Amino acid sequence: MNDFSELEAELKQLRPVPVRDELFARIERLLLQPDAAPTAGVLPRPSRHGLWWSIGLGLSGATALVLLGLGFFAKPQTEPTVTQNPTPPAASLTSGFRPATLSQVVYRQRDEGLVFSPNQSERLLRRVRYDTRETMQWRNPQTGASLRVSYPAEQVVLTPVSFQ
Amino acid sequence: MERTRSNEDWKTCFAQLGPALLLFARRWANCRADAEDIVQEAFVRFWRHQHSIEDRALLYTTVRSTALDRLRSEQRRSRREAAAARDGAEHFEPQFTTVDEGQQVLAAAVERLPDEQREVVILKIWNELTFAEIAGILEISQNTAASRYRYALGALRKTLQPHE
Repeated sequence: MNDFSELEAELKQLRPVPVRDELFARIERLLLQPDAAPTAGVLPRPSRHGLWWSIGLGLSGATALVLLGLGFFAKPQTEPTVTQNPTPPAASLTSGFRPATLSQVVYRQRDEGLVFSPNQSERLLRRVRYDTRETMQWRNPQTGASLRVSYPAEQVVLTPVSFQ
Repeated sequence: MERTRSNEDWKTCFAQLGPALLLFARRWANCRADAEDIVQEAFVRFWRHQHSIEDRALLYTTVRSTALDRLRSEQRRSRREAAAARDGAEHFEPQFTTVDEGQQVLAAAVERLPDEQREVVILKIWNELTFAEIAGILEISQNTAASRYRYALGALRKTLQPHE
């Protein structure tokens, strides 16, 4: 027994404001256009190029940091008085750093709901965005020095969805 | 030929669902024009692939997804603009065409409902969707959808009691 039935009936009597003719005309114009430009002039479609571009920039920045860091730590090893390292200079130039740890921490996960596939636009996909921090660490077993590079990254996972 | 038929049918379908779609899109819009943009984008996307409104839940999912995409891109563009949009929500045009004072009071009460309750009421009352469909669209559990609906109707009844 629904004790809200009277209120529900009253609510159903309320009529939402009708659609303006202008909106009909706009939709008609868009539907008459070819499918290739379904969202022209209305909304930007989600761009995967931007994502790859930002990932690429992040990775190249991280690589540059690694190289700079290696150069920074390699330099003192050429100075025997500082490190007291008996190894010959040629060997110390290789820096002696070895990969120690690699971690990826997901600190935020956002379910962005359903989106149309950019390539096969009839397919529905669930888009989940992960904000992560990736950390790489190298250690020099001879000197005990360590080098740590940490950078934020963003990953987007698209999972196909089907309705029944 | 099917395309020709469907191009004619969309007007019938949109005339039937358009007002309720605009009502639903209002949650993410700061004015009627924005809500129309959301509905236009979503309906064009949906119609190009469905050519019928049999799967109304998918249509509402598309509206929600389009609105969220739009909101995200706006937020990225400018936090200030998003704040202005929220402030502007207070000045939205009336949502219902009312015929008497009782309906005006009821319409005002619906508009004062919290967003998460109002959207369930809109989907249930003016779109006649099931709680299972509403849960799918809003990405909440069926129980949550049903309880939000009950809370909303309870709040409406409480608001209206002095006028009865």
